[in-house]
Amino acid sequence: LSSVPLQILLYVNGIYYSFYFLATLAMIIYKSQVFSYPDDFLAPDLALLFVMAILEVLRLYLGSKGNLTEEEAPLGLSLVITVGSVILSVYFLVWQTYVLKADVILNAVLLVTYGLESALKVVAVAAFV
Amino acid sequence: MAAALKLVALLLLLLLLPLRAAEPSAEPTASAAGPEAPPETRAAAQAPPPVTDVAKLCVCDLLVAQCDVNCCCDPDCSAADFSLFTTCSVPIVTGDSRLCSQKAAIYSLDVEANPPERIFKLIDQVNPSVFCIHATNYKQALSFSPAEMPTSENFDQLLKRFGSATFSAEPDSWNMNTDAQNPSDANDTYRYEYGVPIQTVDAFLRLPSPVVSSWCSDANPAGFLVNQATKCTRSVSVEECGNIQAVSMLFYINSSILAVPRSSQMVNIQVQSIVVQSLNGMRTLLNGSDVVRLPMILDELCINIVLGVSYHITYTDAGEIIEAAAAFVLGAINKEALSIQQSFEISFTQVNTTPVPLSGNPGYVVGLPLRAGFWPQGSGIIQNTNRYSQLTILQSTSNQDCLAAQGARTPVLFGYNMVSGCKLRITAAMKCQPLTQILLDLLKGQSFPEYVASFGNSQAQDVLDWVPITHLRTSEQSSCQIPVALEIEVKWTKYGSLVNPQAKIVNVTATITTTTLKQLPSGRERTIPITSSVVFTDISSPAEPGYKAWPTINVKLPFDFFFPFV
Repeated sequence: LSSVPLQILLYVNGIYYSFYFLATLAMIIYKSQVFSYPDDFLAPDLALLFVMAILEVLRLYLGSKGNLTEEEAPLGLSLVITVGSVILSVYFLVWQTYVLKADVILNAVLLVTYGLESALKVVAVAAFV
Repeated sequence: MAAALKLVALLLLLLLLPLRAAEPSAEPTASAAGPEAPPETRAAAQAPPPVTDVAKLCVCDLLVAQCDVNCCCDPDCSAADFSLFTTCSVPIVTGDSRLCSQKAAIYSLDVEANPPERIFKLIDQVNPSVFCIHATNYKQALSFSPAEMPTSENFDQLLKRFGSATFSAEPDSWNMNTDAQNPSDANDTYRYEYGVPIQTVDAFLRLPSPVVSSWCSDANPAGFLVNQATKCTRSVSVEECGNIQAVSMLFYINSSILAVPRSSQMVNIQVQSIVVQSLNGMRTLLNGSDVVRLPMILDELCINIVLGVSYHITYTDAGEIIEAAAAFVLGAINKEALSIQQSFEISFTQVNTTPVPLSGNPGYVVGLPLRAGFWPQGSGIIQNTNRYSQLTILQSTSNQDCLAAQGARTPVLFGYNMVSGCKLRITAAMKCQPLTQILLDLLKGQSFPEYVASFGNSQAQDVLDWVPITHLRTSEQSSCQIPVALEIEVKWTKYGSLVNPQAKIVNVTATITTTTLKQLPSGRERTIPITSSVVFTDISSPAEPGYKAWPTINVKLPFDFFFPFV
């Protein structure tokens, strides 16, 4: 049976991630205006944000598909992509050029969500196998 | 399930660790900017290392090894100094306030305690905003980048980037070949204008003046209508007596002045007078001084050396020079002299006029002497010809003895409050009446004027423009009153437009304070202080705004407005 908590979490994650993406993009624009943000620091940050968005879309699609069709392959792939997303989230939490308090809050919530999701995915994979 | 939960917990812990590790790196990276001195430290000067420790930073500590007043962070101040402060001029020193948490040093004075003491607190200031900088991985973000030190390698490149012209090498007016540039002015008549260098046949009329050091530079041209007086040093020696151009009279009167710029009309410089100064400084005016005296050696002295030149130029109101005269001071030098001081002066007079120096036009100018005089019946105001002797007060001398002052007076200058005084020794033998007279003469001087000009350019014939001096005497009723203080209070007001107010004197009051002279037992003596002062008070009332009248509504209804009913 598909895991309902996982599905709810994936849905909430989708909404939260859209908010996260817009907020982080707005804050990078704000930082580039207010602080001294040279181009060779701005480019990697923006690139990684867009990469993270793509990964997130992929991850949520695969996770949702795997959960609903009760197949472990997409779920496993989604789990692997989650690792990448976690690393990117940690990058935005720790290694970004300017880490504002708002960044810390957003990324912390995202990481908690990822953690919960990963746990539920593991449980779901165990159930489907 | 329990194992899964444990796995989740472990995962969460692993993920939260980086969050905590982020805290220490949130220290302001400004402290890392310290050792950022450029690596090329090859004997060239380095910028001093930046101070970033908040507890050590003190902007008001300006005096080295001395306590600055009201500077609570000054390390040179002791507890005794702090007890004298009234406030702290620098209450808080913080790092960059955009960081989420930064160190702050707070200085305050505890005035309740006796004696007042300084309180120093080092706290962590928290920025409550959600957009405060938690951490930054860009080292140069929070401090100014140190400028590149110019060395022999990067000098050319820095010069190309930042160099630009500050001064032009020569002013345009030095260039004599301007005919090609202004063909349209060929038929205009030229004339001198204020500040334009006076042209001579070969170059410009020189007024040697000190440039950077006190040595004379001959490249200073005299400007038309610019009254100048300069003093500079020239190096001389007896051996070079006839060779140094600049100490011979010819150098100054050789070239004729052009009457108008770029014309061929020439005005020769006449020798007006020659004063000869001997080695001990005594000056004698020579008679029949039309002859040019050149330096020559006489008895191991080099005589006829120019020590001073005073040019007098007469001009017309069309900007044309019609006469030029020079008065010389010639001196002598002996073998030991290595340099002499030359003084130069130039003054301009309009033809058919006699210059009268004003103290302002129309309002008084600060620093110029007050114009004052007497008004005998039937004529205008009579003034002393010396503008600095028209209204004077006692001048303090170094020995402070009133009777030995020998009548030294100092002029009253507009806007300058002055106090002067001396000490008078009274013996028992002095009688009241002569003493009173002596002191009055001392305080007021020989001819204390009765009227003071209200404007700096008041004419002597306009008597109504002059303000009478009011005399006040404060005295007690007793036997012998001697004057001990004279206070002149000049009340002035601002007159005229708000944009350019002129000073106008409204009232002058001279107050004499007297004191009782007590009889002294014989043989004893007393010293009393005598003071005189001048005070300028601004009594101008503040400007009142003038408003236009409110517009009125002028409504009149036509007479048949209420037609059917009227």
